[in-house]
Amino acid sequence: MRHVTTVSSRELRSLFVSPVAYVVLSLFAALSGLFFILNIAAFNLRVLQAQQFQAFEELQQLNLNDHLLAYFFDSMGVILLFVIPGITMGLFAAEKTNGTQELLMTSPLTIWDIVLGKFTAAAAFVTILVAMVAAFPGLLFVYGDPEFGKTASGILGLLLVGWTYAAIGAFASSVTRSQVVSFLIAFALLLGMLLLPAITHLGVAGDVAGAVFRWISTGEHFQALIGGLVNTADLAYFAVAIGVFLMLTKAAVESVRWR
Amino acid sequence: MIEARELSKRYGDIVAVDRVSFSIERGEVVGFLGPNGAGKTTMMRMLTGFLPPTDGEAIIAGHDIFEDPLAARRAIGYLPETPPLYPEMTVAGYVEYAARIKDVPRRERRAAVDRALERCALRDVALRVIGTLSKGYRQRVGIAQAIVHDPPVLILDEPTVGLDPLQIREIRDLIGELASGQGEHQHTVILSTHILAEVSAICRRVILIVEGRKAVDAPIDELTRDGHGLEELFAREATRDLAADAAAAAAEGAR
Repeated sequence: MRHVTTVSSRELRSLFVSPVAYVVLSLFAALSGLFFILNIAAFNLRVLQAQQFQAFEELQQLNLNDHLLAYFFDSMGVILLFVIPGITMGLFAAEKTNGTQELLMTSPLTIWDIVLGKFTAAAAFVTILVAMVAAFPGLLFVYGDPEFGKTASGILGLLLVGWTYAAIGAFASSVTRSQVVSFLIAFALLLGMLLLPAITHLGVAGDVAGAVFRWISTGEHFQALIGGLVNTADLAYFAVAIGVFLMLTKAAVESVRWR
Repeated sequence: MIEARELSKRYGDIVAVDRVSFSIERGEVVGFLGPNGAGKTTMMRMLTGFLPPTDGEAIIAGHDIFEDPLAARRAIGYLPETPPLYPEMTVAGYVEYAARIKDVPRRERRAAVDRALERCALRDVALRVIGTLSKGYRQRVGIAQAIVHDPPVLILDEPTVGLDPLQIREIRDLIGELASGQGEHQHTVILSTHILAEVSAICRRVILIVEGRKAVDAPIDELTRDGHGLEELFAREATRDLAADAAAAAAEGAR
């Protein structure tokens, strides 16, 4: 495990000399700004309407956390679904097309060095993205008074969702040589995971299957964190999801040796 | 230094390498010779631990490549068929990275990188981005990566491909220099090629591989002593096996 940082620092440096990192960063900054403004506008409208109709009860219930940040974090979670595959698509696929896979596999590195190094590089990049998102609720603290705990747990949720997506993206990159295919596999897996609970609404899945689908999906765990509930069970879910996909990635990387 | 025992690699019914054994002593420079597709690259990939053999074992500097992979790999410098380069890195940055993943201690890393760049005549392009380099330079960056940790064993898959005659001579000189060092610094080299002149120029021993089998394993003087060139030997061995196979198949059919 000594070489995790060696692998991850090279990966990060390569990411930042490629246009991908900058495209993703600017796209993400623009989109998060846009969504933040839209959410503020919607929140303002609700407050104005409540005032106009003298709905004091509703006015009292309206707060920045549940009626603004919750929507904002939720939309950011969806945007991560589009941008993270762009970050992870090259992780392993590029090593195969460069032929550098042969260098890594014949150097005194373990497969875990390689897999964890790649994953931590992607996770570090996701952390930068989430830090960008966190700047917006920061503004709210200047001009209003959202609840700190709820805000922090929402950001934690976004971070955990992002890391999970990074693990899934790493796996998608490890099963193909093509970055485009890797992007599409990651995107399909993430979308599938997000939409899994919808199957239960169709009524075709039984109760048990429905519960399983909902547990597998990131949705409910993320929503709990956005709502300010930091449960060990939800945290464990993210740890398990990341662990499972990293193990699958390791198996896929190792599989060049079986063929 | 290098020992192969009954190494075999099968892909389903296809036999890529068939029970090849040999033993190479410290300081030897051995040429792997054979037609394209004979199994030279597969052989080298098994020796470096990139591919596991279906049968048999490989021992590098006293370490079994699959029982004790990290120690064995530390003892190997390997140049694959296509140089394993990151096009977006600089030459110096890349060689430095190679030194790190090959466990060169931090204190010695700077000197190791400098020495590798010097030996491969890469000083002038040290700060260039690899993607902008010509094929000859890339090949040399690949060699710099293989020697940066001063490994006792060097396995080079077609090291002079894509080089001009002058560069070829430099690389041959470099290989000769690596093998002639003293004590700890004496390297054992395996290189594959299908340029016959290259073998007679650098190697003292030839292992000819035909259709995955070891056809000839002898010192080069012995092979050329009776006045026949290597070319003749190559042609004879490469076709003899085919003829023998055809005869065997015919005998099988007759039965």
